[in-house]
Amino acid sequence: MSNAKIRLVGLNKLFHTRFQTIEAVRNVDMEFAAGDFVSIIGPSGCGKSTIIRMIDDLIKPTSGEIFIDGRRVSPHRRIPPEVIRKIGFIFQQPNMYPWMTVRENVMLPLRVFGLRDPEWARHADALIEMTGLREQRHAYPTELSGGSMQRAGVIRAMVHKPDILLMDEPFGALDEMTREQLNLELLDIWRATGKTIVFITHSVQEAVLLSNRVYVMGTNPGRVVDEIAVDLPRPRNLKLIVSDRFAGYCELLTGRIGQVELSQIK
Amino acid sequence: MTTTTARQTPPVKGKPLKRKTEPICYIAPIILFVAVVAAWALFVSASGISRTILPSPFAIFREMSKNFVRDILPHLLFTLRVILTGYAVAVPLGILIAAVCSQYRIIIKATTPLIILLVVTPMITMVPLFMLWMGFDSKVRVIVVILQATPIICLNTLTGFTTTEGAKLELMRAMGATRLQTFVKLIFPNALPQVFTGLKLGCIFSTIAAMSADLAAGKEGLGYRIQQYSSLIMTEMAYGTILIVALIGIVLFQIVVMIERRVILWVR
Ligand SMILES: Nc1ncnc2c1ncn2[C@@H]1O[C@H](COP(=O)(O)OP(=O)(O)OP(=O)(O)O)[C@@H](O)[C@H]1O
Ligand SMILES: [Mg+2]
Repeated sequence: MSNAKIRLVGLNKLFHTRFQTIEAVRNVDMEFAAGDFVSIIGPSGCGKSTIIRMIDDLIKPTSGEIFIDGRRVSPHRRIPPEVIRKIGFIFQQPNMYPWMTVRENVMLPLRVFGLRDPEWARHADALIEMTGLREQRHAYPTELSGGSMQRAGVIRAMVHKPDILLMDEPFGALDEMTREQLNLELLDIWRATGKTIVFITHSVQEAVLLSNRVYVMGTNPGRVVDEIAVDLPRPRNLKLIVSDRFAGYCELLTGRIGQVELSQIK
Repeated sequence: MTTTTARQTPPVKGKPLKRKTEPICYIAPIILFVAVVAAWALFVSASGISRTILPSPFAIFREMSKNFVRDILPHLLFTLRVILTGYAVAVPLGILIAAVCSQYRIIIKATTPLIILLVVTPMITMVPLFMLWMGFDSKVRVIVVILQATPIICLNTLTGFTTTEGAKLELMRAMGATRLQTFVKLIFPNALPQVFTGLKLGCIFSTIAAMSADLAAGKEGLGYRIQQYSSLIMTEMAYGTILIVALIGIVLFQIVVMIERRVILWVR
């Protein structure tokens, strides 16, 4: 048995709607080593969200198995609290609660997990400080810019010190500059904490800049079509983006995704 | 260019946004009130309408100020007590019933028609029945108020409890939150705007219900007073008392609005 942090074996997911049955994900095998940064990329509707949501037990797979730290997640019962505490989930939208201030939003997982020790509150404040949200910590989320709100979303997901961060196109709605900035901040966080990160994106550049490995997915049915290791030096920064090797990886990935789409047209 | 940048000026950081109310907003209802009274007075004197049908506002004011303390005040206090006691029970009861119902879809489906039935039942039609069962003391009136106000509070609150955005619920699920945690941290605060709608309607329904109970029978309360004045053709006093009832409704409503402003700080 491998010592993967997360392992997906033969995952299938069918959605039954009123009119049809959608095969969202077919026979997906994935492995995420502890401390690894892995991206999942693919066209819209290929089941990226479905996969990451199955890992976080927001939905149950139709068949197949999920292991977290070698422990099988039961297909019938909710994932146990000690396992769910290892995971932080970052949504595509900031998903802040508008009636809570930024700080209260960030502290929410501490409340839910019952982490009352003042040490935890200090940790939350340190994260707020680190992401430059100190000035706005008593503001309501609606008063924040999109970038600040997504920052708050990221630190809310890691305030309880999970080993795993599941990120569903977290910066997809942001402008290019803010997105690059947040990408770099994310790399800093990853380097400092060594978390296992599963990162979903539409952007080839983002995937190459951030990850050690990229899963390329295709649609109809959603499935893994390729797996590409990104062998670029670390720490990475924006200078890397203009390098030839970076461009090479982007081309390779774009090609793989293109092939997937072509084969679907046929 | 300049106009768009001006519009995008971010709010002052670190401070919750305050809804600024223009002074005109405070004066506007007063101006309207004065205008209505003036039009009314003008109409009465111009048309020469009989005072038993529509007395002039000044006559009402004159009669009221003469008789208020002796003839109205005790009944006002009595009715107010009935309204407030009933409302004080109806608020937690309505919210509690909604909280319980919202836990299971099947209970929502089962109880909603029943709640609507209670909302639309004018309790005045039920008062004679209650009197058969319980006699007629102020307890019956309070029960009438509770029965009329609870369903409307419950209905609005229930709408709030059952329209939580899916993504917000997922956040709770992603943290493995319990049912209770989900309710306390998410469903209840998320529903507060609708809860307050229920509370505001509840004030009005309570006031109406207390009047109904007064009118149905008894020798106390503003409703009883209105009936008595009408039969004695003391039209000024009848109208004056009706205005007092309206005033109770307005004041209670405004109190809830004030509390709402203090609680719901995050809207806009
Ligand atoms: N709750 C659901 N009910 C029915 N069908 C669903 C549901 N969730 C997802 N699907 C379907 O499953 C497929 C995969 O959806 P998913 O959201 O995982 O795609 P995605 O790769 O995340 O797409 P995007 O990049 O647009 O976010 C889609 O065809 C979608 O319509
Ligand atoms: Mg998605």
